[in-house]
Amino acid sequence: MQVEVTFLTRRGTAVIRRSHTVTAESVRFGRGTDNEVPLADIRVELAAAVLRQRPDGLFIERLGDSPLYVNSETTGATLVDSGDEILIGPYKIIVTKPLEGLDAALSVELVQPIGDSLERLMTGNRIGLDQTGLSKRRVSWALFAILTILGLAAPIALYSSWDSADRGVPGVPTFLGIAWNPGEISNPHRYFAQKCATCHQGVFIMVKDAACLTCHGGIGNHIAPAAAVGGNQLRRHLQTTRCAECHEEHRGLHSLVIREGTLCVNCHRSLAEAMPTAGPRDVRGFPVGHPEFRVTVVRDAGARNFERVHLGSYPTPADHPNIVFSHAAHLVSGGFPALGYKPMVCADCHVPEPSGQGFLTITYKGQCQSCHALKFDATLPWKEVPHGDDARVEADVAGFYASLALGEGGPKRPALEVERRLPGDLSTPPSEAPSRRAWVRQKTAQALGIIFDEKRGCFYCHFTDSTRGQFRVAPVVMLTRFLLPARFDHAKHTRCSAAIATTPRIRNRAATSSFPASRSASPVTARNRPPTRRNRPVPLATSFIGRS
Amino acid sequence: MTVTDPAAGLHDRPVRHESFLVYARFRYLKIACAAAAVSLLLYLVDSPYGSRYGGSWAGYTLGIAGALLILWLMWFGYRKRSYLKEQGNLVAWLSAHVYLGVGLLVIATLHTGFHFAWNIHTLAFALMCLVIASGGFGVFCYVRFPRLMTENRHGSTMSQMLGRIASLNDQLRTAAMRVDDRTATAVERAVEATSIGGSFWRQLSGHYPNCATAAALASIAETPTNATPELAAAMRQLRVLLDEKGQLLTRTRQDIRYKAMMDIWLYFHVPLSFALLAALLAHVIAVFCLW
Repeated sequence: MQVEVTFLTRRGTAVIRRSHTVTAESVRFGRGTDNEVPLADIRVELAAAVLRQRPDGLFIERLGDSPLYVNSETTGATLVDSGDEILIGPYKIIVTKPLEGLDAALSVELVQPIGDSLERLMTGNRIGLDQTGLSKRRVSWALFAILTILGLAAPIALYSSWDSADRGVPGVPTFLGIAWNPGEISNPHRYFAQKCATCHQGVFIMVKDAACLTCHGGIGNHIAPAAAVGGNQLRRHLQTTRCAECHEEHRGLHSLVIREGTLCVNCHRSLAEAMPTAGPRDVRGFPVGHPEFRVTVVRDAGARNFERVHLGSYPTPADHPNIVFSHAAHLVSGGFPALGYKPMVCADCHVPEPSGQGFLTITYKGQCQSCHALKFDATLPWKEVPHGDDARVEADVAGFYASLALGEGGPKRPALEVERRLPGDLSTPPSEAPSRRAWVRQKTAQALGIIFDEKRGCFYCHFTDSTRGQFRVAPVVMLTRFLLPARFDHAKHTRCSAAIATTPRIRNRAATSSFPASRSASPVTARNRPPTRRNRPVPLATSFIGRS
Repeated sequence: MTVTDPAAGLHDRPVRHESFLVYARFRYLKIACAAAAVSLLLYLVDSPYGSRYGGSWAGYTLGIAGALLILWLMWFGYRKRSYLKEQGNLVAWLSAHVYLGVGLLVIATLHTGFHFAWNIHTLAFALMCLVIASGGFGVFCYVRFPRLMTENRHGSTMSQMLGRIASLNDQLRTAAMRVDDRTATAVERAVEATSIGGSFWRQLSGHYPNCATAAALASIAETPTNATPELAAAMRQLRVLLDEKGQLLTRTRQDIRYKAMMDIWLYFHVPLSFALLAALLAHVIAVFCLW
C-alpha cells in the first residue's frame, strides 16, 4: 500500500507541512526508527500501532500497551476512514482523503509537545514556603482579631452589660476575672471578688475613697482634722491621699494592712519640721535613724501625774511609784534564808502574762509577802495586818487587841489579893475595864509603831503621807508598761533577752540600787543597809536601745 | 561643564559585608545593655509597699518604655520594605531591632515585677517572649544557613541548578528514545515527576521518599545480558544522566531546605508580633480601665 504521510508543524499561525510517501504492506507507528512513520517522542512506544489495508477498508491496530484512541474512544483495533482522528501518545493522526493513485493519506501532528522543560519544572513544583499556601498576613490578622475580641472587646462588652451576679450568666465572672484581673485579691475581699464595680466605680479613674468607706467607714483619719498640730501642707497631703495609694489591692492574699516601716518613714522622716507643735520627732528608720525612746513614768504617784521622758537624758529619768525598792538588795549572790539561800532572779518577781506579751502587775501578796510579812507582835507570830489599806490597819489592830481583851476576860485574880505584875509586862490584859481600854490603846500604839516602822514596817518600802495622818501610806502607782503608745511583745523578743542579760552594762544597771553606795556583793543586812530617805526616786533600769 | 564621577558614591559604601550583629562595632548592643542597666537600676531603686510590681512608679516607667519599644520594633516590618526611604541604613535598623528586642526582654520582665497569673497581662508577656525567642531563632538561622547554602551551591544559583535539571530532563528524553519501553517509561516518569520543593514539611525536612529519579536509576542499574551494544550504550548514558540529575536534585533540595529554615521563623515571628500587639493593647486598656 502507498500512503502519503504529511507532518504538520505549527509556528504561530503558520503551518509547515512536510510530506513523503510510504510504500509498505503495513504502516507502523512508533518511537523506533524502523517504523514507517516514526513518532520521535519518548512518550510513544517503540511500536505503538499498525495501519493495514483490508478489503473492507483501512484497519488500525494497537501494538503496544499504551492506549490507542480513535475519535476519542480507546480501542484495540478498528476500521478507520477519511476524517477519523487517531491519537497515539502526544501525536494526532488524521486520515484524510487520498489523492488519486494512493491508498491512504495521513496527516501527523504533535499536539502535546513537551514544552519548555524549565518552565514545566518551575510550574510543576512549589519552591519556597510562600508557595505552600501559608500566609503570614492571614495568620497575623487572625491572631490579632482573636486576641482583640477575647482580650478587649468581649470583656468590655460583658463588663458594660453585666452589673449583678444575679444575672446568672454562667462563666461571665470567671471570664472577666481571667481576662483582666491583674492579681489575686486579698482574703478579706474575696467574697466580692467577682464584683469589680464594688471598688471600680468608674472606668479610667482610680478607686475612690468612697468605695472603701462603704464598708470601712468607721476608720478614722490618721490625724484628727481639727487637731491644732500645724503642718497644713502635710494635713492636706494626708487628706488628699487616697486609701488605695497605701492599701493596694490585687497584690495577693495577704491583708491590705501594711506593716512596713517605709509606710511610716516616708512621712515621719521630716515630720518635726512640718508639724513642730505636734510633738512627733523625725524617724528615718529602725533601729538606725530612730530617735531615743520616750517612756511614760510616774512623776507624782499621789496626784497620778505621769510624764514622758527621753531615755538616756540627763539627769537620768526616773520613775516615782512611791515605792522604795532596790534591785541590788534583792539580787544578791548569797540569797536569803527565807528562800533557802537561793539567789533571786528576775523571774521571781516579774511574772509574764499568760500571753507572754507583758508582765503581771507586781503585788505585795504575790511577790513581797513571803519575805516581808506584816507582823506586829513578836508574841503573836501568826498575826499579820492586811496590806493595801492603811486606815484599816489601825482599826484592825485595835480591834484585834480589843477582841483579845474582851475575849480572855482578863486574868482571874484572887479576892483581896493584890495583883502583881512584872514591870513592863503588858501581855496580859488587866481585868479591870478601864485598864483593858488602856491596855488596848497601849498595845495598839505599840503595834502600829512596829507596823509603820521605817526599818521593818510599811515605811521600809513605802512613803508616809503625813497629810492624812501619822500612819498613812502615800499612794503607790506602779506601771506595768512604760512604752504606752507602743505595742511591745516580750514573748516575741525572748531571743533578745539572753543577749541583754549577758550584756554587762545592762546587768550592772539592773543591779544598781536606788542608793549610790550600794554596790557591795554581800547580803544587804540591817547593819550595812544605807539609811532610808524619803522620796528617793527609783531610777529606771536601762535604756534598751544600745548606743554605740 | 562638570562631570560627576559615577563611581564617586561607591567609595562611601562598605567594601565588605558587615554583619548586622557587629554593625558599627556593636553600637546597638551597647545601647541595649545600657537600657537594661538603667531598667535594673530603676527596679532596684523602687521600693513600694510589699513586692515590686507593674503599678509602681518604676513599673509604670518600665511599662511605658517597653510598650513604646514594642511599637518601634514592629515598625521595622514596614521600614524594611521602604527601600528608597531616607530613614537610615537598613542594616542599622536590623541591628537595632535585634539588640533592642533582646533588651526588651529585660525591661518587660522587670516591669512585671515577676508577678504572673492566668490573665491577659501575662499572656502579653508570654507572647512577647515567644516573639523574642522566634526572633532569636531567626538570628541563628541568618548566621548559620547562608554559609551552608553557599557551600552547597558550589558557586551556582538556584536558577542555574533548575536550568541544569531541565537540560538533563531533555537529554534523558533524547537518550531514552532508543531503549525499551519499560526503561523509557521509567525515564519518562523520572522526567515528569521531578519533585523539587513541595509541601511545607517536605521543604523543611528535605526528605523525598518517592523520588522518581532514584527509582529510575535503580530500575536500570543492570543492563540486560541480551542487550544489543546500542541498547547497552543507551542504558549507560541514561545511568550517567540519572546519576548526575540525582546529585543535582539533592543539592537543590538541600538548598530549598536551608531557604525554608531561613523563612520559617518569620511565620511565627510576624503573626506572634501582631498577637502581641493585640494583647498589649488589651493589657494597657485593662490596666487603666479598671485603674
